[in-house]
Amino acid sequence: MCGNNWLKVCFALLAFIGFANADDSKVETITLQVLTYDSPPFAYVEQGLQKGMLVELVAELFSRAKVDYQLSFVPLKRALLTVRKSEHYCVTPIERSQEREADYQWISPMLISRYGLYSAEGQRVSLTSLSDAKSLAIGSYLGSGIAEYLIELGYNVELASNGQQNIRKLQYNRIDLMASEIMSARENMDLYQVELGKPELVFYTSIRAMACNIDLEPRLKSHLDSTLIGMYQDGFIAALYLRYGVSVEQ
Amino acid sequence: MAKQCKLRMSIICLLMFVGSSRTAIGEGNAIDWITNEFQPSTLTKAQQQQELQWFIDAAKPYQHLTIRVTSERIATHIYESEVLAKAFSEITGIKVIHEVTGEDDVLHKMSIQNRTKQNLYDAYISDSDLIGTHFRQNYVVPISDFIAGAGKKVTLPTLDLDDFIGLKFTTSPDGKLYQLPDQQFVNLYWYRQDWFQRPELKQLFKNLYGYELGVPQNWQAYEDIAEFFSEKVQVIDGERIYGHMDYAKTHPSLGWRLSDAWLSMAGVGDTGLPNGSPVDEWGIRVEDCRPVGVSTARGGALNSPAAVYAVEKYVDWLKYAPKSAKDLYFSQSLAWAAKGVIAQQIFWYSADIENFTKPGSVIVNHDGTPKWRVAPSPVGKYWQQGMKSGYQDTGAWTFLASTPLERRQAAWLYAQFVVSKTVSLKKLLKSYTPVRLSDLRSAEVTAKAPYLGGLIEFYRSKGRDIWTPTGNNVPDYPGMSVYWWRYLSMVVEGKNSAQQALDEMAEEVDAHLAKIEVSSTGSCSPKLNPRIDKELWLQKTGAPKPLMNLPVRGRTLSYEEAIRVWQ
Repeated sequence: MCGNNWLKVCFALLAFIGFANADDSKVETITLQVLTYDSPPFAYVEQGLQKGMLVELVAELFSRAKVDYQLSFVPLKRALLTVRKSEHYCVTPIERSQEREADYQWISPMLISRYGLYSAEGQRVSLTSLSDAKSLAIGSYLGSGIAEYLIELGYNVELASNGQQNIRKLQYNRIDLMASEIMSARENMDLYQVELGKPELVFYTSIRAMACNIDLEPRLKSHLDSTLIGMYQDGFIAALYLRYGVSVEQ
Repeated sequence: MAKQCKLRMSIICLLMFVGSSRTAIGEGNAIDWITNEFQPSTLTKAQQQQELQWFIDAAKPYQHLTIRVTSERIATHIYESEVLAKAFSEITGIKVIHEVTGEDDVLHKMSIQNRTKQNLYDAYISDSDLIGTHFRQNYVVPISDFIAGAGKKVTLPTLDLDDFIGLKFTTSPDGKLYQLPDQQFVNLYWYRQDWFQRPELKQLFKNLYGYELGVPQNWQAYEDIAEFFSEKVQVIDGERIYGHMDYAKTHPSLGWRLSDAWLSMAGVGDTGLPNGSPVDEWGIRVEDCRPVGVSTARGGALNSPAAVYAVEKYVDWLKYAPKSAKDLYFSQSLAWAAKGVIAQQIFWYSADIENFTKPGSVIVNHDGTPKWRVAPSPVGKYWQQGMKSGYQDTGAWTFLASTPLERRQAAWLYAQFVVSKTVSLKKLLKSYTPVRLSDLRSAEVTAKAPYLGGLIEFYRSKGRDIWTPTGNNVPDYPGMSVYWWRYLSMVVEGKNSAQQALDEMAEEVDAHLAKIEVSSTGSCSPKLNPRIDKELWLQKTGAPKPLMNLPVRGRTLSYEEAIRVWQ
């Protein structure tokens, strides 16, 4: 919607809305631009509505923090570049790595994700540890952090262009196991009406954060951070995860 | 394709069979593992069997659990995650998922578990650098308390704590043991002994610098040798070579390049082990276990002339390293010395030794002995006898109070298993990160020593007591360690002078200590000194030390003389 020609007008409008909505109860008068990308069930758009667990979490976070925000869907690479260049911009969910650490300010943990290895429907592969899968073909997708993790550890990873394709590859025995984030796997199973059951092994936990422009006001960063931690401590996050069918703990 | 599918199905069938046969956990599996994997050991096979029988019995109440632990991605922990976790599961019936990841990720996860109280992992292996944080806060369960209380029935009778060489690194000033060492590594001076012994190079060096080419004892000699190889020699056997290697990218790993004892090697702190007292290697002045400031105006030494000298030398010497060093972070820099183009490296971690001992490597002789040696690190001009000489650390098992007791007990069993005498010698021979004295004294390690360039000689000497971790004085390691790379990267990038960067950093670290002072009531919590004229502190004896302008002459020793300091 906000094409090149309309970009300035849109920003002016957003700034106006932010200003018009500002009242004494707001902690910050600026409107933080939060970027995310299509990653069901965490964040997606359905019939024009932004939905997903992360969308709900972000809404609660900013509501509790009394900070205005605008959530937009942008491809991940572009989002990361935009946040590096533009003040008052953040992107989530992002893996907080040493390589990225110095480029952003971090608000964490936005998502605690578990990754599992799934076998084909009706087939059981007994895995005592991840190394049992060393001789097997593991399906993942291009650009996936978990694929990178497994490749670095010497696993035989076959990359599809997206996560959904691996369900089909499992069914046709073209891979032995599918590596997937647990909530995403459930989403894909529902989409393809396939029941893979529980993962054979849950092998990795990933913490994803909100990466903000490096010049984000330290007071605002600290305020958002402590508000987020409060959501864990009072049980909001645990209840949210349960509503999406998983436990935030083990 | 069909052939591939058949093979794949066969492997899966085999795994399914192995899975179904694994119901017979226990003694039979223990014997298999003893015979096929856990050799050599300092225990006899009968003693190994007895030790594993204890694990089998102790694990029975926990067989329904799947335990999650996480650690840094180094060879030792990869061996644990791929081999020992599986062995433990097959022997005891407790399933273990041992994740390996970046060190920063381990710290983040531990910090997140602490802040959110969500039990992400049942145990962590983290560096003993955090001991100052652990004993001032209440989120870590001290191992010594656990062993005496809720962990008593699951504590291995043959654990033999006195056998661990790094126990003092994980013990707080109040005498409590907070973490159990799992692997230990050291930072030493590394050099190409074969090049240093070439007669033509020895002669040229003596002609140019007036003393022998040998193991540098001070930073002036290191600088001379760096210049000699990078600018005078330049090419050896047709290859461009360099007299120094380092890394300097703006990146978290730049932090530990400078916080891991670099300032103590320069001589910033005071004499006294393990970290210098009253001023330590981070420039923190400590009085009665309370940090009272890092800035010179409060009696600390973080922005003192000696600290400025330490940072300036680090940055200045980058001119002797390959051009790309400035754009590399720690793990990217590791390969350079192993490629055979580096003559010496003042800051070399033994955790990477695997890459330096590979048969066929250009830095390994045909008989498998190395062309390189490790030796005591040279020291800066402010260094005095009796001061800490370098950095050593232990990655150690750490249990958080937020982990439910039953899970903590099961994880404690796994932790003890991977350091038990049944497996520890084999683990040491896989990755050379020793934790037990009994292993270091074994005949197998004696036989291996000539292939490790002096590393075993270091661990068998008193050197292992004077190369120490960050110590007890840092009250919030995760929070304060980030300042090192954030401020000092500005010096590398030319945006600030060393003095400016350290002044600003000292101010921020003092502010951080002040925040902890307000929020913490413990007997060892910070209590800042008032700011006074820094000249008053510089005039006093000890650190912070005044500017030393006298030139220092380079001093070298032969390898044999140099390592005598460890004896």
